[in-house]
Amino acid sequence: MTKPIQLSPKDMISAYLLFFIIHGAQVGVGIQGFQRIIYIDARQDAWISVLIAGIATHIVTFCMIKTLEIYGSNDLYGIQIDIFGKWIGNLFNLMYIVYCFVACFSVLRNYIEVIQAWLFPSIGTWFLSATLLIIIIYAFTGGLRVIVGVSFFSIILSLWILPMLAFPLKYSTAESLFPILENDFRSILKGAHSMTFTIIGFEILNIVYPFIKDKEKIRKPVHLGLLLSTLIYLAVMLVSITYYSGGKLVKTIWATLTLFSFISFPFVERFEFIAVCFWMIIILPNMCFYLWAAYRGATRLWNISGVKFVWLFSFFIFICSLVIQTRTQINTMNTIFGKVAFYVVFVYPILLWPIALLKKNFTSKKVKHNEQA
Amino acid sequence: MKFKLPFNKKQPQPINEAPKESLVRVASASDHFIQSIQNATNNPADLIIKLVPPNLTLIYIDNLVDIETLNNDIIANLQNKPHETLEEIEIAMSIPEIQHSNLLKETVESMVNGSVLIHVEGYSQVLLANIATRESRALSAPENESQVIGTQVGFNESLSTNISLIRRYIVSPELCNEKFKIGTRTNTSISLLYMNGIANDQMVNTLRQRITDLYIDELLDSAVLAEMIDDNSLSVFPQMLLTERPDRFCDAILDGKVGILVDGSSMAIIAPQSFTEFFQSQEDQNLRWQIATFLRLLRLTAFFLSVYLTPFYVAAVTFHYEVIPQAFLVPLSESRALVPFPPIFEALLLEFIIELLREAGARLPTKIGQTIGIVGGIVIGTAAVQAGITSNILLIIIALSALASFTSPSYMMGNVIRLIRFPIIILAGFWGFYGIMLAFCFILIHLLRQTSLGAPYMSPFYPPRMKEMRDSIVRMPIPLTAKRPALTRPKDKNKFKPQPVKPKKS
Repeated sequence: MTKPIQLSPKDMISAYLLFFIIHGAQVGVGIQGFQRIIYIDARQDAWISVLIAGIATHIVTFCMIKTLEIYGSNDLYGIQIDIFGKWIGNLFNLMYIVYCFVACFSVLRNYIEVIQAWLFPSIGTWFLSATLLIIIIYAFTGGLRVIVGVSFFSIILSLWILPMLAFPLKYSTAESLFPILENDFRSILKGAHSMTFTIIGFEILNIVYPFIKDKEKIRKPVHLGLLLSTLIYLAVMLVSITYYSGGKLVKTIWATLTLFSFISFPFVERFEFIAVCFWMIIILPNMCFYLWAAYRGATRLWNISGVKFVWLFSFFIFICSLVIQTRTQINTMNTIFGKVAFYVVFVYPILLWPIALLKKNFTSKKVKHNEQA
Repeated sequence: MKFKLPFNKKQPQPINEAPKESLVRVASASDHFIQSIQNATNNPADLIIKLVPPNLTLIYIDNLVDIETLNNDIIANLQNKPHETLEEIEIAMSIPEIQHSNLLKETVESMVNGSVLIHVEGYSQVLLANIATRESRALSAPENESQVIGTQVGFNESLSTNISLIRRYIVSPELCNEKFKIGTRTNTSISLLYMNGIANDQMVNTLRQRITDLYIDELLDSAVLAEMIDDNSLSVFPQMLLTERPDRFCDAILDGKVGILVDGSSMAIIAPQSFTEFFQSQEDQNLRWQIATFLRLLRLTAFFLSVYLTPFYVAAVTFHYEVIPQAFLVPLSESRALVPFPPIFEALLLEFIIELLREAGARLPTKIGQTIGIVGGIVIGTAAVQAGITSNILLIIIALSALASFTSPSYMMGNVIRLIRFPIIILAGFWGFYGIMLAFCFILIHLLRQTSLGAPYMSPFYPPRMKEMRDSIVRMPIPLTAKRPALTRPKDKNKFKPQPVKPKKS
């Protein structure tokens, strides 16, 4: 086995913070408009799709933790090198870095599009991209503790948005949910598959695992974090299905934001203007974690310094954000990325676990054999 | 990214004193001795040389020594009596603090600190009788951190008075006091105070290290020292507390913090300090917990109002008319109808005027200061609106945020609040809510990156410590706050054994 990562206790974080890491990495731009995509597949049973996707995250995470536990204190990059050897392992690592890059970029690009669509149609993409990247660079250079802190505050400070879902309930009818299970199971599963882009993020556990102080305690916070995300998605989905008519929902790109648009208080109206801007703090941990995960892989491949890496990474993201401009391009990117992410996040860890087990048995037998010889 | 500090803390101590000079001995002949002292001190006008017959020479600096003690206890006892040995002289004088020295440099240093040199003809040794007196004002109420309920005494500029004040609060041999001299020219005494058995050794060591590593030639105030030994001197947020209240100082020390007093400065430094603690006042401990909680929440609200209210107005009026409720839109547009400027300019102008007023009020003598209040509040406010430069509503908002910024118990933090408003207003004026949010995220990350003596600045919120939130933006009843804050990593975690709120009736 490859040597485990050596870390000073100063860099380590407590296990319960994983709750915030997992949840903060999951919820991001997807939740702004995931209803439409799933509704197209699963119609009024879309909430069952959300539930299935949620359960799938728990299963995948279970496999992830099992795989990680085999190696004690190592991240996915180290495991891949150990299992597949230096060359193929590094190739896989490179692919994973590219995956993180695209994930980070898609979050950024989608958010920029929301800002442009709802608030400032004329503001330049380059400006939004540059300002957001500067904020992320600033968080990244503070180290993992700062990133986790951003994630923590992002969740705590955005808790107040949840009760806002109660406003549309006034105009909702439960009848929209019936008949339950009218659609066949295949289309519900297809809907669950479409949840991928929205629900991913928890794969960060693969990378953050060596940094956890008390590794035997991680199950509870991780699964609680996943549960909270699933519940939030479920709540948003239920409210959306009951509030919108079916035809309307199919046409609404950002259904969650549209839900907010008629919320009004005595002192403020058109709540979605505030929500869209406030979303910045919700997407920050997403981008920071992907950036950080990419950095962890890059240090293994090229021995690059953090500052150098973050500027290079941001530069490429900045260039990409200028290339991909139109709504169709972004939509295509999301779809393709969602498909790839399904295999990277949901399929791959389940395959990796038995391989790691086999490898471990094989190696330990070999060691025993050597000892006997 | 680690920023390099603007001044080098770890400059090696230069070896400017040649070993030869420091080893020069005191001359045994009086003439030579007097000459050497005069040379070493550049013969100042206040150097008094007094010959006491038959064989003694007294040298001191006028105004540094207590004349009464000098006359009654030294000169009266020594006059007209032949003294042979130094010991005899020492016994003859009724002075508690007497030292012997045979080194010229040490002698001169002691004299500059307020000792009288007593030289006996024929001896190459000198007696140093310390009868220093320091000019200092009487103790008075702390004017910058006034409280309704609580002690009404503040530190003054004398280090010994301040330490005696603290010793009166904490009557314990566990109170440690370490002395340092800082500044190659000013030779300022500073004291490092902490509780043995509570304060974390590592923190005390860090602070001691930072102080001894300083290489500066002058230190005139503790605020300068605080800035130099901060974790991040480039940040606008102070990471150590400056206070002039001895009760607050003692409370912090008893929580396991480390305090620094600087001679000649009426402000004490306390570290480590978290961000929320800047919004706490010592009075909170003296009030009932419900009221203290209310006041703390009020201050926190004031902080957010003060920083974000004006930018919110600017952003809403410039870009997001939609968020303003219809009922409010009419009075708003009416009041803005005559204003010729864009909202960002209008807001910056008014903020600028308010800052001018505050600065003028702070610099002027108290009597004129009141006039400034009238000029500012009534004349400029009303006139600006009537002249059509600003709208009524913005005036209210600006006044509100100015008022809110003054609720911060720490003047340093109040300044920060007023300053960071300006960039946020500009961002809001250009990019609306998006700009405000950018600033918000930036400030949040900045705060998360800061440490105070290595302890997290955002404690107890991040890293989250639920139990300590009892004494953060709220204050729970005293029996529930029996633990010392983990921020200070205290050796003794419990302040007291938690008692039931109400003892059982017997």
